[in-house]
Amino acid sequence: MFLARIDGTLVAAAKHATLEGCRFLVAQRLEADGSYGPEPLVIIDWLGAALGSTVLVSTDGDIARERYGNTSPARMVVAGIVDQAQTPQQRAGRKA
Amino acid sequence: MRLGIVRGHVTLSPAVPELLGKTLVVLEPVTMANLVAKNGLAGGRSLVAVDALGAAKGQMVAFTEGTEAANPYWPNRVPVDAYCTLIVDSITIGSPNFLEPEVSK
Repeated sequence: MFLARIDGTLVAAAKHATLEGCRFLVAQRLEADGSYGPEPLVIIDWLGAALGSTVLVSTDGDIARERYGNTSPARMVVAGIVDQAQTPQQRAGRKA
Repeated sequence: MRLGIVRGHVTLSPAVPELLGKTLVVLEPVTMANLVAKNGLAGGRSLVAVDALGAAKGQMVAFTEGTEAANPYWPNRVPVDAYCTLIVDSITIGSPNFLEPEVSK
Protein backbone atom coordinates (compact mmCIF):
# COMPACT_ATOMS: atom_id res chain seq x y z
CA MET A 1 0.00 0.00 0.00
CA PHE A 2 1.19 3.52 -0.61
CA LEU A 3 -0.07 7.10 -0.63
CA ALA A 4 -0.87 8.90 -3.87
CA ARG A 5 -2.30 12.21 -4.93
CA ILE A 6 -5.18 12.24 -7.39
CA ASP A 7 -4.23 14.33 -10.40
CA GLY A 8 -6.89 13.54 -12.95
CA THR A 9 -9.39 11.19 -14.50
CA LEU A 10 -9.19 8.75 -17.37
CA VAL A 11 -11.81 7.69 -19.90
CA ALA A 12 -11.52 4.44 -21.86
CA ALA A 13 -14.12 2.83 -24.09
CA ALA A 14 -12.04 -0.27 -24.83
CA LYS A 15 -11.25 -2.07 -21.61
CA HIS A 16 -11.29 -5.51 -20.03
CA ALA A 17 -14.89 -6.70 -19.84
CA THR A 18 -14.81 -7.06 -16.05
CA LEU A 19 -14.03 -3.35 -15.61
CA GLU A 20 -17.13 -2.00 -17.34
CA GLY A 21 -18.43 1.04 -15.46
CA CYS A 22 -15.31 1.53 -13.36
CA ARG A 23 -14.06 4.96 -12.36
CA PHE A 24 -10.41 5.38 -13.31
CA LEU A 25 -8.21 8.01 -11.73
CA VAL A 26 -4.73 9.17 -12.63
CA ALA A 27 -2.52 9.55 -9.56
CA GLN A 28 1.08 10.18 -8.60
CA ARG A 29 2.74 8.14 -5.92
CA LEU A 30 3.74 10.18 -2.87
CA GLU A 31 7.20 9.61 -1.41
CA ALA A 32 8.17 10.13 2.22
CA ASP A 33 10.24 13.21 1.38
CA GLY A 34 7.21 14.93 -0.15
CA SER A 35 8.21 14.32 -3.78
CA TYR A 36 6.15 12.46 -6.34
CA GLY A 37 6.90 9.29 -8.29
CA PRO A 38 8.04 9.78 -11.90
CA GLU A 39 5.25 7.82 -13.56
CA PRO A 40 1.49 8.37 -13.36
CA LEU A 41 -0.63 5.47 -12.11
CA VAL A 42 -4.14 4.48 -13.14
CA ILE A 43 -6.20 3.51 -10.11
CA ILE A 44 -9.73 2.17 -9.76
CA ASP A 45 -11.87 4.20 -7.38
CA TRP A 46 -15.07 3.14 -5.55
CA LEU A 47 -14.96 5.77 -2.84
CA GLY A 48 -15.28 8.93 -4.93
CA ALA A 49 -11.86 10.44 -4.31
CA ALA A 50 -11.69 14.09 -5.34
CA LEU A 51 -9.09 15.73 -7.52
CA GLY A 52 -6.10 16.79 -5.45
CA SER A 53 -6.93 14.51 -2.52
CA THR A 54 -4.44 12.07 -1.03
CA VAL A 55 -5.53 8.45 -1.07
CA LEU A 56 -4.27 5.12 0.18
CA VAL A 57 -3.72 2.78 -2.76
CA SER A 58 -3.74 -0.97 -2.31
CA THR A 59 -1.81 -2.98 -4.89
CA ASP A 60 -3.43 -6.25 -3.86
CA GLY A 61 -5.76 -7.50 -6.55
CA ASP A 62 -7.75 -9.75 -4.20
CA ILE A 63 -10.23 -7.06 -3.20
CA ALA A 64 -10.81 -6.24 -6.87
CA ARG A 65 -11.11 -9.90 -7.79
CA GLU A 66 -13.81 -10.35 -5.18
CA ARG A 67 -15.79 -7.59 -6.84
CA TYR A 68 -15.05 -8.19 -10.51
CA GLY A 69 -14.51 -11.94 -10.57
CA ASN A 70 -11.47 -14.20 -10.85
CA THR A 71 -10.65 -13.13 -14.40
CA SER A 72 -10.24 -9.42 -13.63
CA PRO A 73 -6.80 -7.88 -14.14
CA ALA A 74 -7.64 -5.03 -11.73
CA ARG A 75 -4.91 -4.47 -9.19
CA MET A 76 -4.56 -0.92 -7.86
CA VAL A 77 -7.65 0.34 -6.04
CA VAL A 78 -8.31 3.29 -3.76
CA ALA A 79 -8.51 1.65 -0.33
CA GLY A 80 -9.17 4.88 1.56
CA ILE A 81 -9.10 8.65 1.38
CA VAL A 82 -6.51 10.15 3.71
CA ASP A 83 -7.64 12.57 6.41
CA GLN A 84 -4.18 13.33 7.67
CA ALA A 85 -0.72 11.88 7.13
CA GLN A 86 2.35 13.05 8.93
CA THR A 87 5.27 13.78 6.61
CA PRO A 88 8.90 14.43 7.59
CA GLN A 89 8.50 18.13 6.73
CA GLN A 90 5.53 18.48 9.04
CA ARG A 91 7.44 16.83 11.85
CA ALA A 92 10.40 19.14 11.27
CA GLY A 93 8.09 22.14 11.17
CA ARG A 94 6.49 21.19 14.46
CA LYS A 95 9.86 21.06 16.21
CA ALA A 96 10.87 24.52 15.00
CA MET B 1 -1.68 0.23 -13.55
CA ARG B 2 0.88 2.28 -15.39
CA LEU B 3 0.38 4.04 -18.71
CA GLY B 4 2.31 3.05 -21.80
CA ILE B 5 2.45 3.88 -25.50
CA VAL B 6 2.39 0.98 -27.95
CA ARG B 7 5.64 1.08 -29.91
CA GLY B 8 5.36 -2.21 -31.78
CA HIS B 9 4.33 -5.84 -31.78
CA VAL B 10 6.22 -9.03 -31.05
CA THR B 11 5.71 -12.41 -32.66
CA LEU B 12 7.29 -15.57 -31.31
CA SER B 13 8.25 -18.78 -33.01
CA PRO B 14 8.60 -21.06 -31.28
CA ALA B 15 6.92 -20.13 -28.00
CA VAL B 16 5.61 -21.95 -24.96
CA PRO B 17 2.06 -23.21 -25.69
CA GLU B 18 0.55 -20.84 -23.11
CA LEU B 19 1.60 -17.84 -25.20
CA LEU B 20 0.41 -19.12 -28.58
CA GLY B 21 -2.32 -16.98 -30.08
CA LYS B 22 -1.74 -14.05 -27.75
CA THR B 23 -0.85 -10.64 -29.13
CA LEU B 24 2.27 -9.16 -27.61
CA VAL B 25 2.96 -5.44 -27.74
CA VAL B 26 6.09 -3.48 -26.92
CA LEU B 27 5.15 -0.71 -24.49
CA GLU B 28 7.06 2.37 -23.48
CA PRO B 29 5.80 3.60 -20.08
CA VAL B 30 4.76 7.26 -19.95
CA THR B 31 6.29 9.59 -17.37
CA MET B 32 4.26 12.30 -15.67
CA ALA B 33 6.41 14.98 -17.32
CA ASN B 34 5.57 13.68 -20.81
CA LEU B 35 1.91 13.08 -19.96
CA VAL B 36 1.49 16.68 -18.82
CA ALA B 37 3.51 18.04 -21.77
CA LYS B 38 1.31 16.03 -24.21
CA ASN B 39 4.32 15.66 -26.48
CA GLY B 40 3.66 12.09 -27.61
CA LEU B 41 6.81 10.90 -25.88
CA ALA B 42 6.83 8.25 -23.17
CA GLY B 43 10.26 8.06 -21.56
CA GLY B 44 10.07 4.88 -19.45
CA ARG B 45 11.92 1.59 -19.81
CA SER B 46 10.11 -0.51 -22.36
CA LEU B 47 8.44 -3.83 -21.65
CA VAL B 48 6.32 -6.41 -23.42
CA ALA B 49 2.67 -6.93 -22.48
CA VAL B 50 -0.18 -9.13 -23.67
CA ASP B 51 -2.85 -7.17 -25.53
CA ALA B 52 -6.34 -8.58 -26.04
CA LEU B 53 -7.91 -5.23 -26.98
CA GLY B 54 -6.21 -4.66 -30.31
CA ALA B 55 -4.26 -1.53 -29.45
CA ALA B 56 -2.56 0.05 -32.45
CA LYS B 57 0.94 1.43 -32.67
CA GLY B 58 1.06 4.87 -31.05
CA GLN B 59 -2.01 4.37 -28.85
CA MET B 60 -1.80 4.83 -25.10
CA VAL B 61 -2.88 1.94 -22.90
CA ALA B 62 -2.93 1.22 -19.18
CA PHE B 63 -1.33 -2.07 -18.23
CA THR B 64 -1.51 -4.23 -15.13
CA GLU B 65 1.69 -5.76 -13.81
CA GLY B 66 2.24 -8.69 -11.50
CA THR B 67 0.23 -11.86 -10.91
CA GLU B 68 -3.01 -9.99 -11.61
CA ALA B 69 -1.86 -9.71 -15.24
CA ALA B 70 -2.49 -13.46 -15.62
CA ASN B 71 -6.00 -13.29 -14.09
CA PRO B 72 -7.83 -12.94 -17.44
CA TYR B 73 -6.65 -16.46 -18.29
CA TRP B 74 -7.77 -17.93 -14.97
CA PRO B 75 -7.92 -20.87 -14.18
CA ASN B 76 -5.22 -21.53 -16.77
CA ARG B 77 -1.72 -20.75 -15.63
CA VAL B 78 0.12 -18.56 -18.11
CA PRO B 79 3.54 -16.89 -17.98
CA VAL B 80 2.09 -13.38 -18.31
CA ASP B 81 3.12 -10.55 -15.98
CA ALA B 82 1.96 -7.52 -17.97
CA TYR B 83 -1.51 -7.16 -19.50
CA CYS B 84 -3.12 -4.26 -21.38
CA THR B 85 -6.26 -3.54 -19.39
CA LEU B 86 -7.65 -0.55 -21.27
CA ILE B 87 -7.02 1.71 -24.24
CA VAL B 88 -6.95 5.36 -23.20
CA ASP B 89 -9.49 7.64 -24.89
CA SER B 90 -8.74 10.75 -22.88
CA ILE B 91 -6.98 11.83 -19.71
CA THR B 92 -7.88 15.01 -17.87
CA ILE B 93 -5.12 16.23 -15.60
CA GLY B 94 -6.13 18.83 -13.05
CA SER B 95 -8.89 21.40 -13.53
CA PRO B 96 -9.00 25.20 -13.85
CA ASN B 97 -9.08 25.63 -10.09
CA PHE B 98 -6.61 22.87 -9.34
CA LEU B 99 -2.86 23.26 -9.24
CA GLU B 100 -0.74 21.59 -11.90
CA PRO B 101 0.67 18.24 -10.81
CA GLU B 102 4.22 18.40 -9.54
CA VAL B 103 6.52 16.79 -12.02
CA SER B 104 9.59 14.96 -10.80
CA LYS B 105 12.45 14.88 -13.24
